[in-house]
Amino acid sequence: MNQIEGYLAMAAGKDEVHNGDDITVKVDLAIAHDITGPMAVEQFKKIGVGQVFDMKKVVFVLDHIIPAATVEAKVLHNVLREFSKRYGVKLYDKGEGVIHQVIAEKHRLKRGSILIGADSHTCTAGAYGALAIPVGATELAATMATGTLDLEVPEICEIRIDGKLKPGVYAKDVILHLIGHFGTAGFTDQGVIYTGSLMDQLTMDDKMTISNMGIEMGTMISYFADPDQSVGRVKEVYTFKTEDIPASVACPPNPGNVVRAADLSSTKISQVVIGSCTNGRLSDMLVAAEVLKGRKVAEGVTLLIIPASVDIAQQMEDQGLNRIFREAGGVITSPGCGPCFGAHMGLLAAGDVAVSTTNRNFPGRMGHRDGKVYLASPRLAAESAIAGTIVSPGQVVPLGGLADELEV
Amino acid sequence: MSWKCKLHGRVWKLGGNVDTDQIFPGYAMAAPADKFKDYALAGSEIPDFAGRVQAGDIIVAGENFGCGSSREQAPVALKAAGVGLVIAKSFARIFRRNAINIGLPVLVCDLEQQVENGQEIEVDLVAAEVTICARGEKIRATILAANVLQTLEAGGLIAKVRKQLKIS
Repeated sequence: MNQIEGYLAMAAGKDEVHNGDDITVKVDLAIAHDITGPMAVEQFKKIGVGQVFDMKKVVFVLDHIIPAATVEAKVLHNVLREFSKRYGVKLYDKGEGVIHQVIAEKHRLKRGSILIGADSHTCTAGAYGALAIPVGATELAATMATGTLDLEVPEICEIRIDGKLKPGVYAKDVILHLIGHFGTAGFTDQGVIYTGSLMDQLTMDDKMTISNMGIEMGTMISYFADPDQSVGRVKEVYTFKTEDIPASVACPPNPGNVVRAADLSSTKISQVVIGSCTNGRLSDMLVAAEVLKGRKVAEGVTLLIIPASVDIAQQMEDQGLNRIFREAGGVITSPGCGPCFGAHMGLLAAGDVAVSTTNRNFPGRMGHRDGKVYLASPRLAAESAIAGTIVSPGQVVPLGGLADELEV
Repeated sequence: MSWKCKLHGRVWKLGGNVDTDQIFPGYAMAAPADKFKDYALAGSEIPDFAGRVQAGDIIVAGENFGCGSSREQAPVALKAAGVGLVIAKSFARIFRRNAINIGLPVLVCDLEQQVENGQEIEVDLVAAEVTICARGEKIRATILAANVLQTLEAGGLIAKVRKQLKIS
């Protein structure tokens, strides 16, 4: 068995499991937010059990439309408030941040634990070794009643990346490069284990960025290997060298349409978004602040800065980043999902072009169907905000030595 | 809801990589449940689908249908609008499971190039066989797993769980 199979076997109470086995696993945490949670609650009530399987193992977070932008959104908040009160489950309803960041900060699971979430980016938790499986509202409701999840043991592949990232290349570029290579259905119904010498150099923030976008390759499970255990037998090993990974951009209409940033012809932009469960952490904000310090956002560009959690927002304030962003002409919003999924502040009209550190660029994702979204790293996004066009890292602000310049 | 193993309907063709933002756009996500059907495919190349679909119609798509978000509003909206079945060359995992869990059948079959919009087809879900009515041609689809058929027969996952937990 490989590492994922080993933990699945443990969760299923079996000695061994293999690809194709139908198993039932015990769930350690079940999570949902203001868009999926109310539907899960409605389905849960239809089952007709009086309580959730374990009050401490069900958590809701309001993150998609908070503060409520419409009356309908507020109704969804109230559904979860009422449920949380009646069933005694934890609800984060004070704008604490994006669900995946809040779970990482307040409910971080041990390696090998089973996390299921009614949000496709639940896979973010694979960064710290959780087996994090995204589900829909009905499947979550079933787990809320039973405490278990039925699944088929997936095929597991290994992605091995060796080396050190080149200057101007970040974790975001690694995952964009992989999605471009494997395609948006590259690992449908499969699990991926990340290994290789690059892993030793990645921070937890970096790993969360990579794990977060696993679903953009279709993965069922994205998981960073435990370096102290052997990986075990996998279906296939794909090997990459960091020297072949360039600064990358995913162009419309999907995250698999990836090009080298250097190959993009000059494209005028009207919005830059730095934030989300993909790239809204302190390290992302530090990179953006290094670029934006003492510089101005270009005419005709709206720069949105969206911390992934309230803890991150506090650190940004403590470290003086907010002043840098405001002086550059950026709008700092409250923690949450922002315009990433097209229903909260910062939407695009037809003809708008955004560079965004978020995870999806499907047609209409951030507003109008004819508004375009290019996905990239915070570094590339920040430089593009200054240039007013999509640029490569280093084109506006020289690479290297920036950390020393930044006095915050 | 009653389980029907034999379906008959008109074809709506969609291409490959139809993501959940196209099936059910983000701006509609806070809509009340009784309005979901109005947004079915509102973000796709057929934005007026909800007003034109008839009960029992069948979507025939290419690869990776339903990729992206876990929003169950997507299959719920299709079903509420009247879609009886989605056939695709392949499905994204979460959409496929969501559809089955809410009792919307999905079938894997590379059919897109063999049918025209508006053509009538007959589908036997248990036999995993598609018949193009006009020419009587039969095309094999991938057999549905036993547990998938069980869920569909029960009318969805909630009914199945109630049975498992012996709640009557």
